[in-house]
Formats: sequence, C-alpha cells, structure tokens
Amino acid sequence: MSEMLHYVWLGVLSVFQGPALLELGGIGLPLALVMLVAGLVTGIAVGATPGLAGPMAMAISLPLLISAFGFTPDALLPVFGFLIGIMKGATLGGAVPAILFNLPGTPDAMMTTLDGFPMAQAGQPRRALRIAQLSSVAGDTFSDIVLFICAPFLAVMVEAYLDLPEKTALLILSISFIAAVMGSSVGKGLLSVSLGLVVAFIAAGTDLSPRLTLGIDALQTGVPLIAAVLGVLIVGEIFATLERLWHDNHALDVKAASDGSAEDGLQPGDIRRIAPYVGRGAVIGAAIGALPGVGSTLAATLSYTMAARRARRNPAAQPFGTGAPEGIAATEAANSAVSGANLIPVLSLGIPGNAAAVFLILAADSIGGFNPGPAVFSMPEGAINPQLVTVFGIFTLMSVGNLLNWVVGGGVMRAMGVLAKIPATRLLPVVLLVSLTAIYVQETSMFAIWATLAFGVLGWAMRKLAVPVLPFVIAFILAGPIERSAREAFSASGADPWFLFSSPTSVILLLLAVVALIFLGREK
Amino acid sequence: MPRLSFAHGLGLAVIALAVLALILWVPQDTVSGYLLSKRGRVSIGDAMAPGLAFGLMALSGALIFLEARRAEAEIRLTARSIGFLLAILTICLLALGAMIWTGPLAVALFGGEGSYRNLRDTAPWKYLGFILGGTGLVAALIALVEHRLSLRAVGLGLVTVAVLIGVFDLAFDDLLLPPNGDQ
Repeated sequence: MSEMLHYVWLGVLSVFQGPALLELGGIGLPLALVMLVAGLVTGIAVGATPGLAGPMAMAISLPLLISAFGFTPDALLPVFGFLIGIMKGATLGGAVPAILFNLPGTPDAMMTTLDGFPMAQAGQPRRALRIAQLSSVAGDTFSDIVLFICAPFLAVMVEAYLDLPEKTALLILSISFIAAVMGSSVGKGLLSVSLGLVVAFIAAGTDLSPRLTLGIDALQTGVPLIAAVLGVLIVGEIFATLERLWHDNHALDVKAASDGSAEDGLQPGDIRRIAPYVGRGAVIGAAIGALPGVGSTLAATLSYTMAARRARRNPAAQPFGTGAPEGIAATEAANSAVSGANLIPVLSLGIPGNAAAVFLILAADSIGGFNPGPAVFSMPEGAINPQLVTVFGIFTLMSVGNLLNWVVGGGVMRAMGVLAKIPATRLLPVVLLVSLTAIYVQETSMFAIWATLAFGVLGWAMRKLAVPVLPFVIAFILAGPIERSAREAFSASGADPWFLFSSPTSVILLLLAVVALIFLGREK
Repeated sequence: MPRLSFAHGLGLAVIALAVLALILWVPQDTVSGYLLSKRGRVSIGDAMAPGLAFGLMALSGALIFLEARRAEAEIRLTARSIGFLLAILTICLLALGAMIWTGPLAVALFGGEGSYRNLRDTAPWKYLGFILGGTGLVAALIALVEHRLSLRAVGLGLVTVAVLIGVFDLAFDDLLLPPNGDQ
C-alpha cells in the first residue's frame, strides 16, 4: 500500500514539478497544467459549437501536440493534459447550446434540451446553465473516483489471473460486446468490426512479404492509423453533416431563448432538490461508462427516463419537460459520469470504449513510452515503473480538471454561448481542411490524405447504411493485440487448436461473447 | 416470393465480398497460409487472422440479410446522396490537385533554372499550392452546401490557410505543409 502511495505522490509531482512553460517569481508554471487549462477551454468551446465534437478537436490537435512536444516521455503529460481537458470541457460545453438554443452541442446533450431550453425560455438561462454545470462536474468527479479505484484493481486482477488464452478471449469478448451494443443491429455491428479487422491486418503480419497489399506499394507499411481513424470518425461525419446541410441549410441553426430575468441564477433549495438526481445519474453513468462501447447518450436517456418516472409518482414535483431542474441534473450528471469510467477498460486493459479513449490511445501510441494495459500498473521490486507514474499523473490532471470545471467552468460556459451562432455550413469545410493538413503534417505523405478521404467515404457510407463507425475504429486498434496474443497462446499451447477453450475462464469469456451477440444485439 | 429489399442486397453483397476475398484475395496475397510448419513447429500463419475476419464479415452479411426487413427504414442511401458524395469528392480531387501541381507549375513558369524540389522549403513557392488548393477546398465546399459562391467563403478559406501556415509552418521549422513532403 505504501508503495502505491509513493507512486501516487510521484504522479502528483510529475504534473506539478514536470517541465515548466515559464517561471514566475522563481516558481515554474507546469506545462501539463497549462495544457490542461487550454484543453478545457477548447473543449467547452467545441462542445458549445454545434457540428463540432470533442473527438474532432482531439483529432485535429493531436498532430499539432505531437509536433510541439515531440516523441519523448516528457511529452506524455502535456499531451494527455490537453486531450483530457478537451474530453472534460466538451462534456460540459455540450449543454450550452442545448440550454440556450434548443440544439444539443453533443449528441449526449439531447435530453438536456428537454428541460434546459424551457427553463431558459422562462427567463432563467443562467440558472439552467449553473444546474447543468454543477450536475455535470459532480457526475464527472464521481466517475473519476470510480476510475481511480477500479482501474488499478482490474489491471492487477487481469495480470494475476489471465494468461494468454484468457487475454485473447477477453479481447474477443470486448469487440463482440461493442458489435452487439452499438448501432441498430448485431449484423451491422459485426460488419463494422470485421471491416476494422481486415483493414488493420493489411501488411501487419509476420511474413517477410507483407500480406493483403494488392501489390500497391503505398500499402507495404500498412494503412496509416491516423488516416483510418480520422477518416472514418471525423471526415465521414463531416461529409454526412455537410450533406444534411446541403439538403437544409438551416438544419443546425439556433433558436435563441429569451434573455435572463431578474430571478435568474441558482435558486435557494436548488442544490438540495437536484442532489438525489445527480447521485443516481452519476451511478448510472459510471456503471454504463465502464462497459466499452456503451455511450453517454444511453446513460443520459436512462437516467432522464428513470428520473421522469420518479417525478411522475410525486404529485408535487414539477413535471419533466417544463423546465424541471431535476431533468437537467439527471441528464448532465449521467452523460458526464460516463467519461471517467470509460477510461477503466483503456488504462487497465488497453481496450478503448469510446472515441475520446481512441485518441488517448493514439497519443500514447504516437509518443511511445506508455502502453495502456495491465502492465502499466505493475510495481517491479527495486525499480520505478514510469508508466505507473504517468497513470497517476493522468489521474492528477483529471482531478485538477474537475476542480477547474467546478470553479470556472460555469463562467466559460456562459462566455461560449455565442459560438453556437457560427454557421456549420462554413465551419465544417474549415474543419476538413484543418484535419487534412494536420494529418499531412504528421504523416508527410499525400497518400495519407488520399487514404483519409477514402476512409471518409467509408465512414459516410457506413452512416448512410446505419452501420456504426466506432466498432470499426476499436476493432482496428485491437486487431494487432488480438492476433499477437492468439499467436503467442497457440505457440505456448504446443499448437493446440482448442487453445482458446483450454481454461474455464476463457470458456466463460467466450460464452459471454456469444451471449452478448445473441441477447444484447436482438432488438434496438 | 417477397421482393428483395436494399438491405437484403446489402447482406448478399457483403457475403459475396467476403467469400471472394476468402477464395481469391487471402490465399493469393499472403505467403504463409493459415498454418505454418517450420522445423516441426506449427504456428499460426499470416492468412489466419484475415481469413477469420472475412469469415466474420460473411456471418455479418448473413445476419444483415436476416434482419433486413427490420433495418430497412434506417437505410438512407439515395441517388441524390451519391450525387452529393461525387460532388464533394470532385471538389477534394480538384483542390488537392491544385495543391500538388500549383507549386511545380509556378516554378517551371517563373522559377528560372531551379526545380520545385529544391524550392519546396522556400517562400513564396512552398505556399502557392497550399494557398490555392486550401482556399479552393474551403470556398468550393461552402459554395456547394450554401448553393452559392460568395466572397465571404473565399475570404474564410484564405484566413484558414493563413492561420494554418502560421500554426504549422511559421511556428515549427521541421514541419512541411502539403504537398511539400512528397516533392
């Protein structure tokens, strides 16, 4: 235990005594903290702008960050600081246009419009924003605490009890689960997974001659990771939204609520009124967030529905949909509580569960020196595990981010309300050029741009055919680890074709994968 | 027999693609096959993982076929949509073409003896393609979506390009704007 506390302390120091941006009166201004603040403001701005989203900002900023900080271990915390800041800020910012303009900045803020906009229309926009901020930050903080406690234990359990066949089975369970729960049908979820696997397997084998290249020279080193991920996730989304705007130029226009009245701002008794709803929303969000692939939109919907049902049973309660503070609180607490818990499978197992986690993995992969998975939590005797120090550095940054969101998040949210008025018809072409330039700068090859556009077309087509895109990205990232662990497990078992069924644990994990596909993927 | 819907067709197409890949692509484009035996030691070959992935794809096609009726309402792929995609791709193609060829063309016409490769990190040559292609991309996409070309769209493209030059090229010595890394 004392050893663990020592690592916690080292993690805190790595943030506060890490590289400094500048010195003020002999005291260094920690770079990681500066980047966290910059990320938070960027995230709130992005969340508040309809048509943009946290992952989009993470995608654009990642090549810039890597260019600025390089590929050294010192780059990890500043880069993670910025990305975590965006992740936290975007969750908060999504509520701004939802409340002020009846237009969710992020998909998970859809339910916030139901009570947030009526409250703003009734002359209390500041009150609605304040309730959203308090609920969101409370949910996020709770979720982070769950992450801090669960991730190390999960990682230690996995390392202690799971051998190669079980780890392979666990990875298979993860992608099966993601295929089952995302999208409209299990068939389309599996199609997305299989496409991601196939693309990742191009030129990724162990033979001297790379596989599946179709004789194309540019594919000899495989598909650039950033091109596939950004193409499907970001460029595909830009194409699809541009098409929507092409049909209807005003699809993302805002309708302003009335200005604040004299009685605007948090009312006496509001906090006591929303506290139980925030608590329940936070638990729902954290529980759902811990499962890979299950998004914050589901958490928000579930929390809102349960809260509305509870309110209906109480005749004295304000009906939901009429500007009830409990409605805003239930939604915002739940959708924000997803983000911290979403990192549990990332840090402890190396399995990304959402788009933000994908970019954290991409950052770790690009910079090097930090490989999310059970090994980061190991504590070798007589030596310091730098990866574990980084993990506690990340936890420190998340805690500071929450503190900043508590203190100044509300002010930044109000200031960003104006961003919702930027027309998406002009914003998205700019985002496309910025994304393509950022990719080129990182890859220094026009092939990467052509590949990004090709994957953008794939992402657009998947959206048109209602095939979920996130399973593609997660399968693309997990394809290498699955194949590697299966090859090693097969060799270690002495070429036993039934190596995946060699232990009860792996059989249970595989059965769970089948159960997930059959039962979770039935009706949506 | 009930008429086959678009979703039925999608399911069948996915199955056909997966089967073709399993029969033609995987065997012909991998060296070691599904299993590899070397000095009596058997290991998994390079074809195994893609083979299983295409098997999964075939299974997904079968499921899509079976789920077809339920999923029908969600499919929104129309001729109009494909037309929009072609328009957007044409714009990207022309803009990136301008990005690639403007610099070398300008050097050939006005750069004297030097080649673009030697001047690719020298202003103003290194900016020409990016300015024309980048501004064109932004302005043309805005014009496509808003159904009219405006000076404001061209101005926004120019501002975006200027900011990107500042952020990437002026701030970092070792970064190259498109297309200069390929030249």
